[in-house]
Amino acid sequence: MHSYIRPHTHIALRLPSGIVKILEIAPNTTINIGKFGSFAANLLLGRPYYLTFELLEKDDERTKTELRVVPASELHAEALGNDHAAPAESRDDPAPTEGGVEFDIVGDDGEVIMRSNRLTIDDPSRQKLSMEEIEELKKAGTGSGKEIIERIMASHMAIEEKTSFSLAKYTLRKSRKYLKRFTVLPLDVGMLTDYLTEREAYKVMELREDTLGLVSSWANIHCSETSRVLTGEDGISQIGGGRWLVVDDTGGLVVAALAEKMGILYPSEEDDDSGSEGKEEEEEPTSATTSAQPGQIATKTPVLPEGTTAPEETSIKPEDLQNGTTEASSNLPPPDPPQDDLPQPTSNQTLSNAPPNPPRPRRPPRPHIPQMSSPTNTLTLLHSNAQPNLAHLKYFSYDSGNPSTSHPLYTHLKTISWLQILHPSEDATYAEPETISEETLATMKSSKRGNYYRKRRRWERTKSVVDETRRGGFDGLIVASVMAPQTVLRALVPLVRGGGKVVVYSANVEPLVELCDLYSKERRAAFVARQFEKPQNGVKIKREVKEEDSEPNTPLFSSYEDGDEDEDFPVNPTLLLAPSLQTARARHWQVLPGRTHPMMTSRGGAEGYLFTATRVLPVEGKVEARGHFRGKKRKTGEGSAVQV
Amino acid sequence: MAPPPSPFFDPGTHAAPNSLSVLQLRRDHLIPAVLSASTESEYAEGKVENTRFGSFPHSTLLHQPWGTQVLASVVDTGSRGQKSKKRKREGDDDGQSTPVHETERARKDLVKAVTASSGFAHLVPPTPETWTLCLPHRTQVVYTPDYSYILQRLRVRPGDHIIEAGAGSGSFTHAAARAVHNGALEEAHPAITTEAANGDEHSMVPKARRKRRGGVYSYEFHAPRAKQLQVEVNEHGLSSTVKVTNRDVYEDGFCLEDEEAPDADAIFLDLPAPWLALKHLTRSPPSPAVMKSVASDPATPEPEPSAHIAQTSSTPKLFRSPLNAKKPVRICTFSPCIEQVTKTVTALRSLGWLEIGMTEILSKRLEVRRERIGLQEEGLRGANPSAATVQEAVQRLRDVEGRAKVFHGLQKEKQEEIARKVEAKKRGGKVSPAEEDQEAVSGKGKVKVESVPPSKHDRLERAKKELDNRELFKEGRLVHRTEPELKTHTSYLVFAVLPREWTKEDEEKANRKWS
Ligand SMILES: C[S@@+](CC[C@H](N)C(=O)[O-])C[C@H]1O[C@@H](n2cnc3c(N)ncnc32)[C@H](O)[C@@H]1O
Repeated sequence: MHSYIRPHTHIALRLPSGIVKILEIAPNTTINIGKFGSFAANLLLGRPYYLTFELLEKDDERTKTELRVVPASELHAEALGNDHAAPAESRDDPAPTEGGVEFDIVGDDGEVIMRSNRLTIDDPSRQKLSMEEIEELKKAGTGSGKEIIERIMASHMAIEEKTSFSLAKYTLRKSRKYLKRFTVLPLDVGMLTDYLTEREAYKVMELREDTLGLVSSWANIHCSETSRVLTGEDGISQIGGGRWLVVDDTGGLVVAALAEKMGILYPSEEDDDSGSEGKEEEEEPTSATTSAQPGQIATKTPVLPEGTTAPEETSIKPEDLQNGTTEASSNLPPPDPPQDDLPQPTSNQTLSNAPPNPPRPRRPPRPHIPQMSSPTNTLTLLHSNAQPNLAHLKYFSYDSGNPSTSHPLYTHLKTISWLQILHPSEDATYAEPETISEETLATMKSSKRGNYYRKRRRWERTKSVVDETRRGGFDGLIVASVMAPQTVLRALVPLVRGGGKVVVYSANVEPLVELCDLYSKERRAAFVARQFEKPQNGVKIKREVKEEDSEPNTPLFSSYEDGDEDEDFPVNPTLLLAPSLQTARARHWQVLPGRTHPMMTSRGGAEGYLFTATRVLPVEGKVEARGHFRGKKRKTGEGSAVQV
Repeated sequence: MAPPPSPFFDPGTHAAPNSLSVLQLRRDHLIPAVLSASTESEYAEGKVENTRFGSFPHSTLLHQPWGTQVLASVVDTGSRGQKSKKRKREGDDDGQSTPVHETERARKDLVKAVTASSGFAHLVPPTPETWTLCLPHRTQVVYTPDYSYILQRLRVRPGDHIIEAGAGSGSFTHAAARAVHNGALEEAHPAITTEAANGDEHSMVPKARRKRRGGVYSYEFHAPRAKQLQVEVNEHGLSSTVKVTNRDVYEDGFCLEDEEAPDADAIFLDLPAPWLALKHLTRSPPSPAVMKSVASDPATPEPEPSAHIAQTSSTPKLFRSPLNAKKPVRICTFSPCIEQVTKTVTALRSLGWLEIGMTEILSKRLEVRRERIGLQEEGLRGANPSAATVQEAVQRLRDVEGRAKVFHGLQKEKQEEIARKVEAKKRGGKVSPAEEDQEAVSGKGKVKVESVPPSKHDRLERAKKELDNRELFKEGRLVHRTEPELKTHTSYLVFAVLPREWTKEDEEKANRKWS
């Protein structure tokens, strides 16, 4: 995947302001990047990701808008604050800057552009060109914003008083504002996470990319396509097979992250290697023998003649440009609250005057493979509404309301509601619909017959997912939910196999602190002690312990809502080993010669915490711990002490 | 016959013989054990893992379901002293190198282990996380918070190929293996294992038909470390996923005999000077100017910098890139010092890498406990016996005052009584009825003493007695704090992306296709 920009996939465009736009790219449409202008989507299709393009508007030389690949050297030179070619850059590393050492920055032609740090005065009025003039310049179609920058710099009275530090920033600031550039990035889970946390963090429980990586590790998520589903000791229950239970209140972001690591998120991966269409394979650049540096070829690309196919317009909301003060914003719908900027699950990315999604190319129908039928490498999603919210999966071409049968998630993602898992008999879809004989069916109207089969299939699916889930033996449980974690764990930990992993994410620490306390070693000791001291009162607890060994279809959760829940032990604390609480955060740095330091600001908000533990099978009976301080055994009351 | 699946990917239901298991004793105290039913051991019970928390004969672990809490056994470790060294080695090698005389001594039947009165461990399947905590350290290793983030940012997915140098202790190797594993095992051929043999096989399999198999290409120039890693890789059932190469990557780069390898999608460099390896990670031969700027770093005097360049630029051999030509390639370098970062970033820029950024991971674990404060905690462990509230403080002060008063009063009474007795004696030695009354009064005094606020001794007694009825696990205030020892710096992570090469011809083709 992501070897080149494919039609009908979501891509991310990063604009000079650093703002990211997500859109689905379709052939023969126009991509509009607000005040920067627009260009034909075909200029991007088939091209590699991570290139930065500059928009060359049509003028005397160009009959159409063209895209120029900005070479890496040019990008780096700008980042470094001068116009030198990158290979020579190391020699330009400024000498130690302490003590007011002066140095010059020299332009292309050897002319000294500026020097001296001391006399710099920060006064915006020193910029001679007025905003109006700048607008004029732009309207004059002077092409890339570079020219504007040069003019501004030239007219800047204090320019000679600036040092490379301030100039670098100055240049950057200007380029961000005026350069008509964008970088095309693949829309993968990392990118999407950044995008969502930036815009509507609350919808994804403020989950950051750094946390997602940790979740996957601790849950031991990996591709298990070839793993075995084995039978447990009892000869009935199943164990393993690379099946994970998920509770996800992030609209599917967690599911996507896990699926990515299981190899079931991106459709038809093989295309990358084999080039499914022979024609495409032939178009792939095949050898690496050319001497050019990536991105160094400035390609002038004529656009297809207009009118051959009426281009549909894919427009992006340009509110990012200069904080929403753009000329293009006038033809947009009234400004929404920021959280609504993100395309809603049902609506398309194309917000304004765009037509609905162009139809996706449909693959020829395959032999019927039932949905949610994969035995291994699966995610089983518990949801608290009638339908799961998997809105974010649309960025990966998976529409949970109407999934394409060719998408790997079609068979590998199973969904089950809390009612279905805890009280299947109360769920209508779990009850078998009446069977109609073949003969009767033959006499029915086709629509009715279709209806009948649809119902049957839905029932079969529900039943198989519910039964399988209740049989347990999952390799792990991942929870990112706003529900009280102990209620989730009480129900689901028994369904995790011995040695399986439990990971709970929470934006805030408090729910997890409470959870840790419910699994504290003191509480565990008290729990075990209570089992032995008061056998008659402890029946209930005993039963809970027993439950994990119960037969597949005896309700695992009989005591769950019986109201006899023990306040002190909302969960069985002996089922998890080494419960731990942790947090991690990535801190980003700027790395420039002589100017390396951590970023000055970053997102605040929720820190994000993880609870991790391993499911274990406790010995039934009194267990005495042994400390490393031999002879001085630690004893807690009469119950068992707990080592771990 | 297909080899059994790696316990890292598919551990099965229970601990199997000759496969890696992990015994978890405490949260961060785990020991790896390749379990064996072998009788070749100096113990009557067969092979035994001896720990601070008791002895665990393999016979008590084998065929136990994963996650089982295993009780320690009574093992006669009397002869342990002089044999301990040897035993350790056996444990590591799974007795592969057991001398012959050992075999002769081997018993036919193992003595059944007797459960000890205390001590237990949990039997858990190996994962990169548990392995990282118990692997034999040969170098600094990359821990879970860092490798999780690195693999996330490198976008390593099932089926990908990742280059890793140096392999060191293999901590990152295992995490990377899990990330690339895609079970494309049975489909084609047992891929990567040995370079020469498979070179041929590769060419025989039609390329387009095959599902690409995930692979970790590990390079390590320290021969014993490379060897040890290879042993572990084999023992862990990862030999079809991890390819270990003993090589100096600064000098010799990453290409392998197999033309299709490494074909890398991602690169992780945990090397002292990653910038010296970068020149080998290009899509096309770097121009002499670039090579010069990458090599001639004034701050790092290279022994023979010109030798490197000469070697590479004058090679008549056809240039081969170790990178996947059809995908963007991502890199991460892992360096503890900022100077290393600066050099690496400079080299990355020169070589055309994009999206260059540097990040550090700050991770911490939190402790959760109940903080008990209050007068009721006097004399108890793990709590603070200070007054919990102003009211408690006042009460305590009142008690002290009260006691002082009572004792003062008693003192006075006693003195008065003595004085009275002395008086009486003086008067004639006879106790009058009135004085009997006095006795009664002092009897009342005794009652009074009993209602005196409790002494420290009393309080301690009471606290102890009450402890039996208290439920400490839910008392006090629930608090959390950072663990006592904090890793405040591991390394700086530099990330960058090298896009696909895009030539004029490529552009023309794309242009033709999409117009
Ligand atoms: C810090 S260790 C790597 C630890 C490893 N990432 C882990 O997680 O266990 C660095 C390793 O790089 C190896 N090394 C150093 N220079 C090398 C070179 N030029 N080629 C190959 N390996 C090298 C060292 O021998 C050392 O084992």
